[in-house]
Amino acid sequence: MIAALNTSYLAKLPAGLKFGALLVVSIGLYLIGSWQILLVLLLASVLILLSARVNIRQLRMPLVTLLLILGIVFVSLGIQTTWDSALVSVLRLLTMCMFAYAVSLTTTFDAMLELFQQVASPLRHVGANPAQISLGLSLAIRFIPELKRVYLEVREAQHARGLANNPLAVAVPLVIRSLRIAEDTAEALEARGYDSAEHSK
Amino acid sequence: MATATTSQTRNTVYVAIFAAMIAAMGLVPPIVIGIVPVPITLQTLGVMLAGALLGPVRGMLSSLIVVVLALAGLPLLAGGRGGLAVLLGPTGGYLLGWIFGSLVIGALFKFWVLRQKSQPGRIITGMVSVIIGGIGVIYLFGIPWTAAVTGLDLATSAIGAIAFLPGDLIKAAVATLVAVTVHRSYRALMS
Repeated sequence: MIAALNTSYLAKLPAGLKFGALLVVSIGLYLIGSWQILLVLLLASVLILLSARVNIRQLRMPLVTLLLILGIVFVSLGIQTTWDSALVSVLRLLTMCMFAYAVSLTTTFDAMLELFQQVASPLRHVGANPAQISLGLSLAIRFIPELKRVYLEVREAQHARGLANNPLAVAVPLVIRSLRIAEDTAEALEARGYDSAEHSK
Repeated sequence: MATATTSQTRNTVYVAIFAAMIAAMGLVPPIVIGIVPVPITLQTLGVMLAGALLGPVRGMLSSLIVVVLALAGLPLLAGGRGGLAVLLGPTGGYLLGWIFGSLVIGALFKFWVLRQKSQPGRIITGMVSVIIGGIGVIYLFGIPWTAAVTGLDLATSAIGAIAFLPGDLIKAAVATLVAVTVHRSYRALMS
């Protein structure tokens, strides 16, 4: 769910502002107990999403999952309490998620990550090393396609042996090969003199 | 291991590779297990393995990285989900539970499981540890979160979680066997 080339007015707002607004709205939604008001707010959130010209196709899968869960919640809550409060609860969650989608789909991944790092920056005073945090995040992103490839390779190899659905036969080689990749990468980083630890101490 | 001291950079690389493993496990088609086919999304298996293999701090950081990347917008969670809505939604607590789950599994492995000398002893204590951290702790965050966000009572919220229990138990068994096997050949992994 990445803001794919969204250039709307929402995308021009700073990420911190949108994030703060989302927090305030989420708390505010819990103070509202009338389904009529929530329905109006839900419509407003949908209008905001549409006016920001987000790619609706990106929302299809998450929305299906969310609606499925909310459907179950609605029925069990309706049976347990009143249908009125079930409706309030479901509308509130749906509205909250719509606003969250509006923020996520109009904020680039980089901007969001930068915001998180700013929020976490006071951790520097309790010994966290910002350089290591950045290294960890970017290495993790870099490793994902690599590990997906390794995983599919291992499964294919075990499939040929008739072990494709044996979780141990897949997971052990996956872990061992991951550890080897990690060691190689760590050695390569150290060989190039990358060690931010010295500067932090 | 070649170097005498495990450097900070080395630790960061280990944290990153397990974060990537958790993420990659959500992107691939699930393994089907058993006579009654139960498709298992392997993501929590990754969370369990991160704790069991890297120990409490590094294991927790691996889960934390996945959560941060997902909330920042990468579609890393099972079903291609990501973004802030995941945390605000009814299942957000399970995501937070990952962080503490891998912490608890890591601590139990470091101070209890790996001190067992016999292989069966390690498997039994390992299984208990993974169930406590990977199921108990994660549900401890997930169930009250669902209840608080939706207004359902705790019992109903817990019944909803039970549907995932069989799959989670299989994952706990797999994680334990993998962790014990790998620790036998990589003895210095957690020192």
